[in-house]
Amino acid sequence: MRKLLALLACALPVPAAAAETGALVRYVACPIYRDADSGKKSGCWLADDAATGQRWDVSLSPYKPDWNYGVLVEGRTTAAPPDACGAPVLEPVRTSRLYDMPCTRHMLPAEGYPGRRYKLQGRYIDPLSVARPVPPGPYAERAFPIYFEFGNDFLVYQYDDYLLDRAVTWIRAAKPKRLVVTGFAASRPETISGQVIAEPTELARKRAQTIAESLRRLLPGIAIETRWEESAPPADEPDADGIPGQSQRRVEIRALF
Amino acid sequence: MRGPRSNPAPHLGPVLAGLATVALATVAVGKGPPPRWWAPGEGRVFPQQLDYANAQGSLRVLLAGEPVATKGHPFFEPLGSNGRACVTCHQPADAMSLSAETARARWDATGGKDPLFAAIDGSDCPSLPQAQRASHALLLNRGLFRIERPWPPKAWNGAPVTPDFSIAVVRDPNGCNSAPGHGPAAGNISVYRRPRPVANMKYLLAVGFPFDPKQGYALPLDPDDGRMQSGNLMADNRAGNLRLQMDDAGTTHLEFRKRLTPAQVTRITDFEKRVFTAQQSSRQGGALDDMGAKGGPAHLRDSEPGALGSIGEPVWSEYAAWDKLSPADAARLTPEQLAFRRSVARGARVFRDRTFLITDTAGINSRIGFGNPVRNSCVFCHNMSQMGNDVAPGQVDLGTTTMPFADPWPDLPLFRITCLKAPHPHYGRVILTMDPGFALTTGRCADVGKITLQSMRGLAARAPYFSNGLAKDLRGVVDYYDRRYHIGYSEQDKQDLVNLMSVL
Repeated sequence: MRKLLALLACALPVPAAAAETGALVRYVACPIYRDADSGKKSGCWLADDAATGQRWDVSLSPYKPDWNYGVLVEGRTTAAPPDACGAPVLEPVRTSRLYDMPCTRHMLPAEGYPGRRYKLQGRYIDPLSVARPVPPGPYAERAFPIYFEFGNDFLVYQYDDYLLDRAVTWIRAAKPKRLVVTGFAASRPETISGQVIAEPTELARKRAQTIAESLRRLLPGIAIETRWEESAPPADEPDADGIPGQSQRRVEIRALF
Repeated sequence: MRGPRSNPAPHLGPVLAGLATVALATVAVGKGPPPRWWAPGEGRVFPQQLDYANAQGSLRVLLAGEPVATKGHPFFEPLGSNGRACVTCHQPADAMSLSAETARARWDATGGKDPLFAAIDGSDCPSLPQAQRASHALLLNRGLFRIERPWPPKAWNGAPVTPDFSIAVVRDPNGCNSAPGHGPAAGNISVYRRPRPVANMKYLLAVGFPFDPKQGYALPLDPDDGRMQSGNLMADNRAGNLRLQMDDAGTTHLEFRKRLTPAQVTRITDFEKRVFTAQQSSRQGGALDDMGAKGGPAHLRDSEPGALGSIGEPVWSEYAAWDKLSPADAARLTPEQLAFRRSVARGARVFRDRTFLITDTAGINSRIGFGNPVRNSCVFCHNMSQMGNDVAPGQVDLGTTTMPFADPWPDLPLFRITCLKAPHPHYGRVILTMDPGFALTTGRCADVGKITLQSMRGLAARAPYFSNGLAKDLRGVVDYYDRRYHIGYSEQDKQDLVNLMSVL
């Protein structure tokens, strides 16, 4: 049954957006949970793009949806078959919860789709009992970005903790004189799926303060200056995974000597 | 009161036979067994091993290192004005906590005169007539002590915290949230909680990772030694280290008007870090460290704390050997013992592997990005090897104190929380709760109802369960989860889980 459904899904007509691998997709939708069960954390998240009618598999987002609220979906199309969750896959992908957009919670049964068996991979940190390798020098001024979901200053598990741990490991080795922590927010209004969305300008300050507080705990005694800027242009940074919106919602930790 | 190793019930025969040698080792010849109750200031020596019978078998308390002379020891001496000591509410026979059954027995033995029933928090409210049993109903029926928190909240160092919610008293059955001097208008809020076990401390203090994924920050630093704090000591995480916890307990529970001296803090810390406890034998299953199993506190004492079960020793794999007993071993057991051991081993697998949808639970489904819902099992949160507490700070809202998930107990106060900024992601703008929990520490609406996960050791000795005694027995714990998350456990699953928890 499962194989049959997967084959049927593969045979479905693929829309133009999906056919173009790597195309950026960005829309607002109510998420759908598919109760696939291949063990822990294996359920699927799906979301329909109202402009095209296309249902996408957005399960690979590091920050998953809440079925009671809308999500801003940002992702890139892939050629991956829709056999895990029953929809073409966006990867990389981000789903930001929109808490001012209530949704009717909806759950689909697995319907033969397995979801994805969870495995620890990608951006995760080791326990403190595991020594971090010392990054090689020479050390010079350097900036480390930390990224956030839309409207959020929350440290994303198995994404931001990894980025911050990596930055702190380098800073401990490099011993800069001070850190300048600058928060950015995507505060310029944009119309997405017919909705005008913009981050509040104060989010840039909150993000800077959130990261500065964590740095004070991780690097006690180091001089930290916080700054914030209201509007951030997109930047092409590898850890933003080629998603322009992600790169706008960031904090930059700049190590100065 | 029952004494340790004395007058064993007939069904405890196989269990207690092995304890006779312990009795000989720890009890002076010619004297009767020491009393089960440890009274403040009695001056006993705390030995390296204590065994106490309970309804499920027997609990063992191990003290690593040398015995402790309790005479003059600040954990055991009444320091404050009400005659209590730390040991009053952290009794060895009750896994260093206090069961409601023990509280009732203490009332019966002393006519309510024991310092345990001090008006400050051993009664439902100090304003009630203290000689009446009914004035202590929450302690006697549910093992609950009154905890008075400042309102608005204050940080550990007394710094004011500006809450993002308002609080109003909907119901005050005991008077301690509305009588003169009590309640939000008077600058305090009274909630009612179970005492947490003071044992296996190295696990509760262990730090596995540098971040608190539930709060979205790096872990806070200990103000005394600069190390990261585990966040797993207190129900509402109001004290991040043992010294702060002692100060808090001293000024409230003991009515100690001075500060503990550094020497007293050091002595209490030394004792608490050396105490390990767990169920040692089972009435139905026999010895818990038999045939390859690693039950009992010795394994706790000898293991490294703070490891995630998912990447190290799987949680409750202490009983994995009972999953594959050899025919020869099985033949050495009674049918009842064999069935029980197999049930325990199944229970451990159900605990680890049976997944269900976790929904609308702050600390799991928000703000952390696991998704709402997320499919996982008990070990998603109860993830630390050997202990089953959370490697990360364990502040999670299971709904045990908050409506609509909690039972609407009319004898507990009920508060109406109104979120002044963003609504709570799962409850909305207005929340009804019997204990705001962690929110009384952080001042954040998003933290209402969060209670720090507890150790799962010594459960058989310290009913009832959950921070507010919501579950009167282990079956009540399983039933709560089954109802809260629509898990659909079978009767066999439930009994296996109960049996597992009875041997931890």
